[in-house]
Amino acid sequence: MLNRLVQWARRRSPWVLHYNSGGCNGCDIEILDLLTPRYDVERLGILKEASPRHADILLCTGPVTRQSRDRLRRIYEQMPAPKWVVAVGTCATSGGVFRGSYNMLGGIDQVIPVDLYIPGCPPRPEVIIEGLARLLATIDVPEDKPPRDAAEPPAEQLKSVAADEGEASDDGD
Amino acid sequence: MTRVTIPIGPQHPLLKEPLSFMLTAEGERVVDSVLRLGYVHRGIERLAEERSWVQNVHLLERVCGICSHIHTTTYCQGVEALLELEVPPRAQMIRTLMCELERIHSHLLWLGVLAENVGFTTIFMYSWRDREMVLDIMEDLSGGRIAHAVNIIGGVRIDPDAEQLDSIRRGLDKLQQQVDTLLDVVQHERSLRVRTQHVGRTTKELVRRHCVVGPVARAVGIDEDIRRDAPYAAYDRLSFKVITESGGDVWATALVRVRETSESLSLCHQILDQLDPGDVATRAGRRVPAGEVVSRAEAPRGEVIYYIRSAGTDKPARLKIRTPTLPALSLLGEQLRDIKLADVPVVLSGVDLCIACADR
Amino acid sequence: MDTQAILDALNDACPDHTFDAQAIPIDETVIEVPVICLKRVVACLGSGFSISHLSTITGQDTGTELELLYHFWSKGGLTLRVVLPYDDARIDSLTAVIPGADFYERELAEMLGVRLEGHPRSGLTEAEGFEHFLLPEDWRPGRPPLRKKQPPKENES
Ligand code: SF4
Repeated sequence: MLNRLVQWARRRSPWVLHYNSGGCNGCDIEILDLLTPRYDVERLGILKEASPRHADILLCTGPVTRQSRDRLRRIYEQMPAPKWVVAVGTCATSGGVFRGSYNMLGGIDQVIPVDLYIPGCPPRPEVIIEGLARLLATIDVPEDKPPRDAAEPPAEQLKSVAADEGEASDDGD
Repeated sequence: MTRVTIPIGPQHPLLKEPLSFMLTAEGERVVDSVLRLGYVHRGIERLAEERSWVQNVHLLERVCGICSHIHTTTYCQGVEALLELEVPPRAQMIRTLMCELERIHSHLLWLGVLAENVGFTTIFMYSWRDREMVLDIMEDLSGGRIAHAVNIIGGVRIDPDAEQLDSIRRGLDKLQQQVDTLLDVVQHERSLRVRTQHVGRTTKELVRRHCVVGPVARAVGIDEDIRRDAPYAAYDRLSFKVITESGGDVWATALVRVRETSESLSLCHQILDQLDPGDVATRAGRRVPAGEVVSRAEAPRGEVIYYIRSAGTDKPARLKIRTPTLPALSLLGEQLRDIKLADVPVVLSGVDLCIACADR
Repeated sequence: MDTQAILDALNDACPDHTFDAQAIPIDETVIEVPVICLKRVVACLGSGFSISHLSTITGQDTGTELELLYHFWSKGGLTLRVVLPYDDARIDSLTAVIPGADFYERELAEMLGVRLEGHPRSGLTEAEGFEHFLLPEDWRPGRPPLRKKQPPKENES
């Protein structure tokens, strides 16, 4: 019973966290735009949160610079399960225009698992809302999706998480 | 008194961009700060050396998502100087129009962020709502809200017709009313004033020592603006005032920016009235003759400088970008000294940081 | 800006070198300055012509040597060009005279491997007080990404 209530709340009012892992701001201002009168996602129950510990969904932009890699990983680890990650923007999905740079990992999924990709440079706010709606539509059955932590993480990720805990990791992934 | 060190960032509700600070505080007073950049460093200067001249227009548009157009303008006018291309007057006018629309967009966005940081959410909502009107105009012109892809080497890509110009005029008129309201609020609303006046104060001397440009410099009364001092694009054919204030606090920077927004609106009207007929672009070759160029332009946050060197091939040999946020960050170290902790957000938003620009 | 007056003053300040001005687009005056004279030239520009607004410093690897361009602004652009050989890439820091030069100089040290004498935080190795400015924490010093001969990709282990 409680479980169903939680699930209902999660679906009807997801709390999102926004992190820029090295993008150009274009996507970030479009995400912020979601809060303002024209798009106003709060009326749809979507609340922008400031702390990873309160968030269900991570809206992540940018191609992941080497400096922000560990920070992104830590934010993801701090989020309580179940959690979802949305890569917003072309550079978050693949590196975009910045692909090939020396300081770039080339997409969010190089570091943490991604549930939904929203390409576009930058995507329009409508598209971001549409993406979120589609993501929420997949959330309904509790047993369907095991919490992310329990799922088998890719081997590479395990390795880097372990390296993280042993202080500075020097693997370039 | 014991000292505590407070880390801020890179993921922090205060900042919409990743930047990291170590504040040292004694009780309520901030005594020192250490800054760490580099979370958004994408190595664009090096990347640009590996792309062709034309591809670079698209790369440089993404140095910064807020002032994307000014970067391509500075780049294109530099490359055009190397090519010794004559850019048609109509193209210059359209470029300038986009520059001014972008300035309006950036300043309104900034006002919203400031209001949010002083806890005045109503103004945040208002100014971001009004910003949508500028975005609509820019979208109508170019097809993009944030990334416009208007500039090409040799001119512009768009050629608005009379109907579009009319609808822009209508949009601008509506916007003018809103900007007047916002100016009124900034000037007279007591709570905003109390929170920003005498906060983050700088002096002319400090600003000069740190070589700061843009609205922060104009807020201490330094009368400098590249648009007037070294006119580029079509600015030599337009008339406008360079706005200065003397307070040097966050309130003064707010006044400068909002009044500049009004000035930009009037510039837009002038452009629409004087828009020359004719071509919007000249053909440019793929190779750029060897040589070097220093190109300057006034972005919403101050002067942008590009240094471009060509070795006569189809790629630049060196491309250096200096954006106005870098000197502002240098000054910020001084501003974050001996202030109250609670004022930190206000001071931060006063300088209008753009970390994506600073890190490149 | 009176270029001739500036040249005369510089010739007086550093008598063992003859200064010459060159114009590049867009309306920029370029003056070549020998490494040892840089500080004197900057002092002379500051005191004699109140040119002390340093817009930025461009560092570049031309393939044969390193070149630093100090872009000044005073109702017109003035650039000082300083050439450094690869094997002796060092120059006096200007941060004490122009605090605004701090960030640009740190960038030079990190991106191009130029040693800035007298700058507190821009050594080239950790022992010399190297601090990362734009590059990530795990970037080993000694591989500046803007040197052409050192493909930056190599830094990835
Ligand atoms: S996808 Fe495009 S607009 Fe979005 S952050 Fe990346 S470069 Fe900027």
